Amino acid sequence: MRRIIVLLAAMLVLSGLAGCGDDKKPAQEAPKQEAPKQEAKAEQPAAKAGEDKKLQIGLVYISPVGDAGWSYSHDQGRKALEEAGGVTTSYVESVPEGPDSERVILNMARKGYDIIFTTSFGYMDPTIKVASQYPDITFLHCSGYKTAPNVSNYFGRMYQARYLTGMVAGAMTKNNILGYVGAFPIPEVIRGINAFTLGARAVNPNAQVRVVWTKTWYDPATEKEAAKSLLDVGADVIAQHQDSPGPQEAAQERGVYSVGYHTDMSAFAPKAHLTSAVWNWKDFYLDVVKQVRAGTWKSGSYWPGIESGVVDIAPYGEMVPQDVRARVDAAKADIKSGKLKVFTGPVKDQKGAVRVAEGAVPTDQDLLGMTWFVEGVIGTTE
Amino acid sequence: MTIEMVIPVLAAAVQCGTPILYATLGEMLTERAGVLNLGVEGMMIIGTFTAFLALHLTGDPWIAVVVAALCGGALGLVHGIVCLVFQGNQVVSGLALTIFGVGLADYLGTPFVGTVTTGFTPFSLPVLGDIPVLGEVFFRHDALVNLSYVLPPLFWLFLARTRWGLALRATGEHPAAAAAAGINPVLVRWAALFAGGALVGIGGAYLSLAYTHLWTNNMTAGRGWIAVALVIFAFWRPGRAVLGAYLFGGVMAFQLRLQAMGASVPSSLLLMLPYALTIGVLLFSSARGKGRGAPAALGVNIEPKD
Amino acid sequence: MLGYRVVKRQEPLEWGSFFIFLLALAFSLSVSGLLLAIQGKPFAEGILILWRGGFGSFVALEDTLLKSIPIFLCSLGVAVAFRMQVWNIGAEGQFALGAVGATWAVMTFGGLPGWLLMPVMFLCAALAGAAWGLIPAVLRLRFGLNEIISTLMFNYIGILLLQYLVFGSWKDPTSFGFPMTPIFPDGAIIGRLFGRIHWGLVVCVGVAVLLGVFLRRTRLGFELLAGGENPRAARYARMPYDFLVLLVMGLCGALAGWAGCIETSATLNRLQPSIMVGYGYTAIVVAWLSRLRISSIAFFAFLLAGLRVGVENLQLDLQVPAAFGGIIEGLILLSVLAGQFFDSYALRRRGGDA
Repeated sequence: MRRIIVLLAAMLVLSGLAGCGDDKKPAQEAPKQEAPKQEAKAEQPAAKAGEDKKLQIGLVYISPVGDAGWSYSHDQGRKALEEAGGVTTSYVESVPEGPDSERVILNMARKGYDIIFTTSFGYMDPTIKVASQYPDITFLHCSGYKTAPNVSNYFGRMYQARYLTGMVAGAMTKNNILGYVGAFPIPEVIRGINAFTLGARAVNPNAQVRVVWTKTWYDPATEKEAAKSLLDVGADVIAQHQDSPGPQEAAQERGVYSVGYHTDMSAFAPKAHLTSAVWNWKDFYLDVVKQVRAGTWKSGSYWPGIESGVVDIAPYGEMVPQDVRARVDAAKADIKSGKLKVFTGPVKDQKGAVRVAEGAVPTDQDLLGMTWFVEGVIGTTE
Repeated sequence: MTIEMVIPVLAAAVQCGTPILYATLGEMLTERAGVLNLGVEGMMIIGTFTAFLALHLTGDPWIAVVVAALCGGALGLVHGIVCLVFQGNQVVSGLALTIFGVGLADYLGTPFVGTVTTGFTPFSLPVLGDIPVLGEVFFRHDALVNLSYVLPPLFWLFLARTRWGLALRATGEHPAAAAAAGINPVLVRWAALFAGGALVGIGGAYLSLAYTHLWTNNMTAGRGWIAVALVIFAFWRPGRAVLGAYLFGGVMAFQLRLQAMGASVPSSLLLMLPYALTIGVLLFSSARGKGRGAPAALGVNIEPKD
Repeated sequence: MLGYRVVKRQEPLEWGSFFIFLLALAFSLSVSGLLLAIQGKPFAEGILILWRGGFGSFVALEDTLLKSIPIFLCSLGVAVAFRMQVWNIGAEGQFALGAVGATWAVMTFGGLPGWLLMPVMFLCAALAGAAWGLIPAVLRLRFGLNEIISTLMFNYIGILLLQYLVFGSWKDPTSFGFPMTPIFPDGAIIGRLFGRIHWGLVVCVGVAVLLGVFLRRTRLGFELLAGGENPRAARYARMPYDFLVLLVMGLCGALAGWAGCIETSATLNRLQPSIMVGYGYTAIVVAWLSRLRISSIAFFAFLLAGLRVGVENLQLDLQVPAAFGGIIEGLILLSVLAGQFFDSYALRRRGGDA
């Protein structure tokens, strides 16, 4: 009797095969060992059907959209796309990196999306894998380093904004100890810390930056505790490379200052928030859609800086005095125009060795692979 | 480590340890009645979320505390339904409850990530807060921490000196004898599940009402499990629970401060400390007496009779 | 109460267990559907998407099958342990250690040809996973340390260990400092069997067969099955209870370790922290649902894998948070636990004969 029930159930499950599947193209799923390399110009069905065709855009996020941080800023970009019209957008949030992400991206591809943004480093390999099976779809991968004929990677020169926020922090600190709550010791975070330090020491050569790693991108409790531990060693400005405003809260509670990240975090710490290093993907995303529609999109590695608007600093808090603002604004203008390059030598590391010679400027490759701290940073990169 | 660092670390230990303390006492209450409830992590995070939601909707942190307690208790009752009514395996039911509770909190809570609230804020108690060292360590925290100070003595009083406490202990040691003495062990267990769950819920609420004023998925990050371990470490007695909870809080706070002071130990290894320490203290307790103090009927369901 | 009384059955009910599961499934889906409605999502459509996402097309079935491979292996181990009332919830950490072990083999012996490297990888994965399971076992036997807590703590430690290695000495020098090992050489990547399914499936089948034979046909296996029924009696009968506990934990660790090895090799082709997705915990659900029988484990592993895959579709189509899967899993287990009551007890009308 039991076996019959089990058999029935098994047949039930298999009958799903005959069910209304979205996809009846098993041939497409066969792994392509040698994906035919398409030309850089993605073939656009949109161009054939006229400009009216609604492009389907998908975004894959690593964390919840409401986190007021990384995914939130990408989602702001998505919302801008929706407002501009002519597209339908969809997103999946909190997608863990690894095999699950590959399936999510694959799903979007199967459903015939035209553009897919994958917004976390760990989605890199899955993006490339899926892209090789769907040469007609445009993929953009954020914060990675691989490309393919239909895959671009993109990021922003956040370190420029970090430099500016560092200047503000360095000017506002009274006991010259700046605290930095970092998530993981990966190059983008290390680069940000270095730029922050360089900016702080440009206005205040005695400033030092202490680093605490939380080993999590989003855990307000741990982040806040990390900030507190920095406050306990005397930091009076807290900066962060984290997704939650936990550190901001900690700074406000102790009556000191803070610098936010991702978005303007002043709502969480109005008395403490000096400024933030913020992302702004709106224009970049609108641009991508425009290019795809027009058929002019090309694969490549895009790393725009402040001049493009992708990275910026949030409006100053009231407590920032005019002279500091003027100085930082001037530096911003210089970076925009190219006159000031953040990592121009001489730059020494923590041990005092010269890593960037006087007058030299590191290449993008060097910056992307930065795993050492500059002088003035107290902490380990492990 | 300089003297100046010791006091902030101790103060942080108290703060970090408070949610664990609530959860440990809650689970202890349930276990003393003989029910093993491994769903602490799930109940805790439900408490965290419902408190946050209630605060967001009403603006009153104390209402939020009550809501969290009720929801935590409700989940405890679910465990009761499975184990007390349906004789389900207590271990597995608790695990299921954790999986369910964590999932539920994440699911309901996702739209609320990033909301801003204000809850409990630290303040200094009138006279006590000014005592030189102890004041800073113990008496300059928020209301929920202060509340947690009265719980262990109350707990002890309840268990040792009241009739209900006696009924609870009897149920945990020998339900059949308790029944013979006129106590209804099943009812006692229901009450213990609810009350214990309520305390655990408050422990969770602490995280989003006072420790931070934020909410995110997986906010409890394993604290519920540490509470389960601490019940064993505490030999099922409230006094040692306090010690254990603050010890844990201290380790969690300490490893971050080590980094802030510039230590060069890789942080992944430092992060292992709380978990390694859990095993360490349990080994220590076990060496002192294997399973000493566990209620005799812990984990054993009461068979239904006609 | 309610005019019924509860009577313990003479013989536990057998055929009803699947029926109970179906009821439990229906209940869980209904409650989950209600939750969907709370967030304003369409109830029936949601359940439909869930089903189709996991089982509704050839591609979905492939995804589900792929996902069920690691879940199956972990569940086998957990089920064997649970049978002995050894509450091993450390499958997650043992999975991580297996991945670490396999990666170590690749990094040390990477030059070996595939037919040699692969077995070495599996061996190392099994040893690493087994060790991670044996330590809590030893702690339990020698110090009476509750294995629920110890295996759980070892989960966290295992994952941190993985992170430590991947962020430190095992980091790929060309990965721009990101935490991942270098891509495995071809000899270390498990090949495809058909479609997108890889040889891990064969490993599963092989392990299942071997385990089945071991449990049913050998004396040691029989002791294992029997020892769980009554540990005290087993001790008096001089069956090597301690040895059985060690065996079981080692076995569980090895199996979970193989799951980790397979996932690292076939799915990711390198070791990264993102390999941890909670298979160890799902394995507990599967083990219990299947009442610790191997054939049922295959079925339930497939089902729960399909659930996970289906939930991803829900995310995409209806923007449902990922945690939804945990709700369903937890509910299923809770309701099955409740339903299993009827295997051992029957309701009889009060006032009549027994």
